[in-house]
Amino acid sequence: MKFVAVIRQVPDGESRLRIQGGKVDLSGATLILDQMDEYAVEEALRLKEKHGGEAVVVGFGPERAEEAIRTALAMGMDRGVHVVFEGFADPVAVAEALVPVLKEEAPTLVLTGGQQADWDSQALGAALAEGLGVPVVAWTTAIELEGDTAKAKHDLDEGAEWVRVRLPALFTTQQGLNEPRYPTLPGIMKAKKKEIRKVQAEVRARVELLSEEIQEKQRLGRILDGKDPVAAAEELVRLLHEEAKVI
Amino acid sequence: MPIDFSLTEEQKQLQALARRFAKEVIMPVAREYDENEEVPWPIIERLHDVGLLNAIIPEEYGGMGLKMLDEVIVGEELAYACMGIYTIPMASDLGITPVLLAGSEEQKARFLRPLTEKPALAAFALSEPGNGSDAAALKTRAVRQGDYYVLNGTKMWISNGGEAEWVVVFATLNPELRHKGVVALVVEKGTPGFQAVKIHGKLGQRASGTYELVFEDVKVPVENRLGEEGEGFKIAMQTLNKTRIPVAAGSVGVARRALDEARKYAKEREAFGRPIAEFQAIQFKLADMLMGIETARMYTYYAAWLADQGLPHAHASAIAKAYASEMAFEAANQAIQIHGGYGYVQEFPVEKLLRDVKLNQIYEGTNEIQRLIIARHVLAE
Repeated sequence: MKFVAVIRQVPDGESRLRIQGGKVDLSGATLILDQMDEYAVEEALRLKEKHGGEAVVVGFGPERAEEAIRTALAMGMDRGVHVVFEGFADPVAVAEALVPVLKEEAPTLVLTGGQQADWDSQALGAALAEGLGVPVVAWTTAIELEGDTAKAKHDLDEGAEWVRVRLPALFTTQQGLNEPRYPTLPGIMKAKKKEIRKVQAEVRARVELLSEEIQEKQRLGRILDGKDPVAAAEELVRLLHEEAKVI
Repeated sequence: MPIDFSLTEEQKQLQALARRFAKEVIMPVAREYDENEEVPWPIIERLHDVGLLNAIIPEEYGGMGLKMLDEVIVGEELAYACMGIYTIPMASDLGITPVLLAGSEEQKARFLRPLTEKPALAAFALSEPGNGSDAAALKTRAVRQGDYYVLNGTKMWISNGGEAEWVVVFATLNPELRHKGVVALVVEKGTPGFQAVKIHGKLGQRASGTYELVFEDVKVPVENRLGEEGEGFKIAMQTLNKTRIPVAAGSVGVARRALDEARKYAKEREAFGRPIAEFQAIQFKLADMLMGIETARMYTYYAAWLADQGLPHAHASAIAKAYASEMAFEAANQAIQIHGGYGYVQEFPVEKLLRDVKLNQIYEGTNEIQRLIIARHVLAE
């Protein structure tokens, strides 16, 4: 069996991004393996540990994205393929560039994060499945292999459903699927010797990026008058429940 | 290309691992272990799991063979989360170093390999109740009796002393010989007559266990002696010349944390109708902190590089340790000042930074001793 995790490199959630000349400037940002994709890597490793076979990481992006591939190798993936592309590519174009590489690898399962940070409109997984002609289960929180099929739990807005698909198939991953392991120090040392095959991406972009901007979040700035603490607490609970929907 | 400031790909990954570990594993619980004055075994176990514990042990004995530069990269990150917790692996390396420097192949295999197979610590025992800086004045006695040394005396301020699998104990065969009479002996946990008493009430670094070690007629086999009789003092000094470099790295980590906390607070806290970060009095403090952090880090890397190249590094490690620890103490002090009253209470993390980093000016040779080492280097020319 072969388990492939498709990964991307994104800015750390705490990085401060700036806009320079209408484009996001990543020069000062710490770039990491996308945390959504980490679940994909972890699941590929667990499936390999349980069922045997090979776990391969496929990364898409500029030269620097090799660091994220190395992280996945340090977590334990067997080898890597880096599909190199500098600049912007829309998710459907990314999928088209990855499909020939994935077809060549002929994986049993393809796993990728449910979304790339917030940049791919959650489209990469579905577009890859379309290109490969395989079933897709999005936002999975459990995957079990049974013969030549897989059973997976798929999250819905207000619940979940179990589905079965014939393999090969593609799954998009998210929090709750597993607890990704650390790339250990022995793993980092071993990763040095692991192969990363470089493939120049052929990208036929359908979307041209004109400019980018960062959303300014305004706070509501609502202040509860605390003169009557009981009433204030009740109002706070009501607001958190009905408006913020966090409790 | 004679000078290159870039980290290798592996060093970047190592840094990322240590940074993530610090943030996810240490930071959430650092305050709790500090308050309870408790050694965090779950964290020691996790350090072992990810390969960061005792990682300076060479690969042939089951370790990762980390170099000093790798070690300082890790040290800065772990100390950013908690200097006290970082002291635990750091003091274990302090115990391991004399074995690396003076141990035979057989001793290295016997003492080091077990420290790579499970979460376990080493320790280093030089100071005594009546002597610290005057290390050659030690009173713990070792008397040769056949195949054993019989050890009597007390060691003080020993990090990991009660947890360690074994402790490198420096003892004198004849006090009149001063430093020429010192022998280094590896005393294993559980040896009859060896007792560790935890020291309570420390100002800071309360998550690391500090012990008084008592030796009453402790029989130590001759095969546990590192080097020859009379070489103990040299082994101790060579060890400290290396291991005070990680103390400098830890100091840089504490100072970086102080700056991050101070920056965050200064941008949020308002006075006179605007964030206090807009006042030059605050900005100058932040700028001074960064000047100290950057210079201390660079110099610490330099000292580590010297050590890794096998070049003389005694004065460089002394400069790094004294400079970085004083810089970090001042950074923590100014971070409290920027926080005002909030900096003085436990609700904010900056008071702990000051309490913790005070020790960096004292242990592994006080900063006064560092200045003696530096002055000796100056006057030798």
